[in-house]
Amino acid sequence: MAVVARTDKMICPHCKVEMNHHCDKIVYNAGTDEAGSDPVLGGTIAEFHTCPKCGDGSSRHT
Amino acid sequence: MVTGRPLFVPVILGTARMGRMSLHAARVVTGELGKLAGVETDLIDIAKLPLPTNDAGEAIKQADFSAKMNKADALVVVSPEYNHGYSGLLKHVLDSCLKEYIHKAVGIVGVSAGPFGGTRVIQNLLPVMREIGLVTIFWDVNFSSVQKVFAEDGKLLDESYIRRIDKFLKELVWMAKTLRQGREQISLD
Repeated sequence: MAVVARTDKMICPHCKVEMNHHCDKIVYNAGTDEAGSDPVLGGTIAEFHTCPKCGDGSSRHT
Repeated sequence: MVTGRPLFVPVILGTARMGRMSLHAARVVTGELGKLAGVETDLIDIAKLPLPTNDAGEAIKQADFSAKMNKADALVVVSPEYNHGYSGLLKHVLDSCLKEYIHKAVGIVGVSAGPFGGTRVIQNLLPVMREIGLVTIFWDVNFSSVQKVFAEDGKLLDESYIRRIDKFLKELVWMAKTLRQGREQISLD
């Protein structure tokens, strides 16, 4: 199954503004469950976002 | 544009060993950081963090340490060199966070009783820093023969270190400002 990158912006829970997506990291799961795993990259993608207003960082898995 | 928020640059003291001379080094660096305009700092002693040892990684994230790492724009890690490596407790602490570190600057201060000033522990820390998302700076501080650098009460006996620390902190602050701009304003997409 193809994994589609998310295009919706993360919203800062403090400032309610759109956060800036500045980094991805591939995460290899130790278990056998491959749900959400990217078939090409071989793991799930963790996205890292930062609020331009308060600097708070957050992440999500695609 | 870099916002007017002050930079937060905590110093992590990376050892819990009794009699650690790295404490003196960490205090000097924290003191010099505190003199910089627009910079806030804090000395984080890993010996005082209540992290369990029956698990590891983000499963044992400690709220106060996590909040400080999230707020941080850069870190200073002060690490002694034990058998050419860093302390196991320092790795245990660093591994407890991840998203908090991403694209933030880090400078490393090596401490050793021998003549090499922790150069080997710094080299060993570099791949760890990279993998947890931190961006290392070019300049290090090396406290060699540390027992001769500080008096028993922690007084710095060799003032030449102040200039070395100043150069180190100037690059760290530059990198912290640059990466803040990138994190907040420059999109990956």
